[in-house]
Amino acid sequence: MPKKILIVDDDPDLVEAVSMILESKNYDVAAAYGGVEGLEKAKTEKPDLIVLDVMMPDKDGYAVCKEMKADPNLSKIPVLLLTAVVSKIPTTHYTQQMGLETEADDYIDKPVEPAELVKRIEALLSK
Amino acid sequence: MTEHADILVIDDEQIMREGCSRILSKEGWSVAAAENGEKGLEAIQGFPDKFDAILLDLMMPGMSGMEVLDRVRNMDSNLLVIVITGYATVESAVEAMKKGAYDFIPKPFTPDQLRIVVKRALERRSLQKEAEFLRREREKSLHDVATEKSRIKTIIHCMGDGVLVCDRDKYIVLTNPAALRMLNIPEESLFEKPLSQSNLPPELSRMSDETLSRKEKGYASVSQELTVGETFLRAHSAPVTNDLGEVLGSVTVLQDISYLKELDKMKSEFIAMVAHELRAPIAAVEQQLTVILNRLAGEVTEKQEKMLSRAKERTRGLLTLINDLLDLSKIEAGKMVQYKEPLSLQEPIQRVVDLMRAEAENKKIDLQFLSSPGISLIHADRSSMEGIFTNLISNAIKYTPQGGKVWVTLSEEGGCVKATVSDTGIGIKKEDLPRIFDRFFRVKTSETREIIGTGLGLSIVKSIVDAHLGSISVESEAGKGATFTVLLPKEPMSTAGMQEK
Repeated sequence: MPKKILIVDDDPDLVEAVSMILESKNYDVAAAYGGVEGLEKAKTEKPDLIVLDVMMPDKDGYAVCKEMKADPNLSKIPVLLLTAVVSKIPTTHYTQQMGLETEADDYIDKPVEPAELVKRIEALLSK
Repeated sequence: MTEHADILVIDDEQIMREGCSRILSKEGWSVAAAENGEKGLEAIQGFPDKFDAILLDLMMPGMSGMEVLDRVRNMDSNLLVIVITGYATVESAVEAMKKGAYDFIPKPFTPDQLRIVVKRALERRSLQKEAEFLRREREKSLHDVATEKSRIKTIIHCMGDGVLVCDRDKYIVLTNPAALRMLNIPEESLFEKPLSQSNLPPELSRMSDETLSRKEKGYASVSQELTVGETFLRAHSAPVTNDLGEVLGSVTVLQDISYLKELDKMKSEFIAMVAHELRAPIAAVEQQLTVILNRLAGEVTEKQEKMLSRAKERTRGLLTLINDLLDLSKIEAGKMVQYKEPLSLQEPIQRVVDLMRAEAENKKIDLQFLSSPGISLIHADRSSMEGIFTNLISNAIKYTPQGGKVWVTLSEEGGCVKATVSDTGIGIKKEDLPRIFDRFFRVKTSETREIIGTGLGLSIVKSIVDAHLGSISVESEAGKGATFTVLLPKEPMSTAGMQEK
């Protein structure tokens, strides 16, 4: 039984590309194109892990993450935040602080390197 | 020689007129004559200043001398009138003197007597003139002072900038409506107590202290930003000194810079918005390229791979540029280095070196970090420090050919912690060195053409170093590698050796 991963990002092209990476590793992939839809699908699809974009127009990733962690049915699902910061000045403070506050389990800058993404996901799933 | 003077002789006797004229002309004075009162008055009328002295016969047919005297005095009380009296008319002489005649001369008189009397009158006249001149001068300068005062007052009151003038004891002695508006307080509450006890922002009192305690001569001003409610103010303070250089008080000028702050904020927000809008689609494109290059969307020919790789390098360059712009706008907004804390520089450098190791190994570059033990703490923002060394080390790797060497050192020098990043790379030409920290400056040679960069990295590094009150310098020669040296002041309370691990 393959693990199911929910990708939440408002950019369909990015969702498609990340899906292809995950499908190549035989994950079952579901997609949502906004924060609100992401929360819905987290409930209905019952994924094993969520890849969650931070910047979304309707509800941002931090808010989605916060609501999930507050919901006993969803709080166990690991969340990998997709941060849009590829800054040369690593905003570790920012991302770490925000990550801690929102209790995200890990974060990765996008665009992602396929091998790195898979490595992080495997690590989270094996916890 | 006596000064020139104009004298009028009013006498009905021709012999007297001619005699006087002759005697007085010899003294160099101009003499005019009138044969009766009416003619005399006519000559004076309209030109009261024309005559310095008037010789007036009291006994004349027609209009009497006394009446002429009255009229003359009415015209101009300053006119000097010498009355000529006959024998046994002492009473009339006394009466004339009472009416304001300056002097009298009884008939008959000798030429000497006439000269003496007239001379004395003319001396008096000249004193009178001088006194008048001085009086006018004084009036004029009083008037000038009043004008100047009123002008300065008007200028201060019309100014858009706020003005606060304090005396030596820091009591406010002058202010203007703009200052009251900016500080949002009523005028009454300002006077009669020292600045420190007023409910003004404490910065103003501190600035005034600093200004008043200034020892050095010459113009020196202190300037600081402060906020009053929603208003951003910039205050400039300068001492008022007397001609001995003693400080008598201070002048503080307040500038409302809220709109500049607002503009700056809008600019930063605009840049941030544009950058974010650009970043999302470019990140998506790069993600797609990454997927294709990883053969996740089917086979890729060698030629396609080459082109797509190059395309990915370009999107990476764009993303770097966008991020650099965002960093720069954050630095400008003062948001970049907000979390200053006591920090051991060793930790962020070690972290960056570890992160960069893979990149160095790809190019077979030997990357080393050498730190002296027990380096003092600095007061700095951790992520900004990582930013500095990410930039410097990734540059060093970028501009060093395969098989080269990059080494980072950390030591102390005086009151500073000193970090250096050196490489055996292509180096920097002497003429390019002065511009190396400028925005968008990139060294253009055949060797750098293939290297993607924005020309913002080193200017960001410099901005961060500046924001930490440090300094950065570079030593290099074309072909002989480069060494960047960063000096950052030690944390004031730092104890050496505490961070040894």
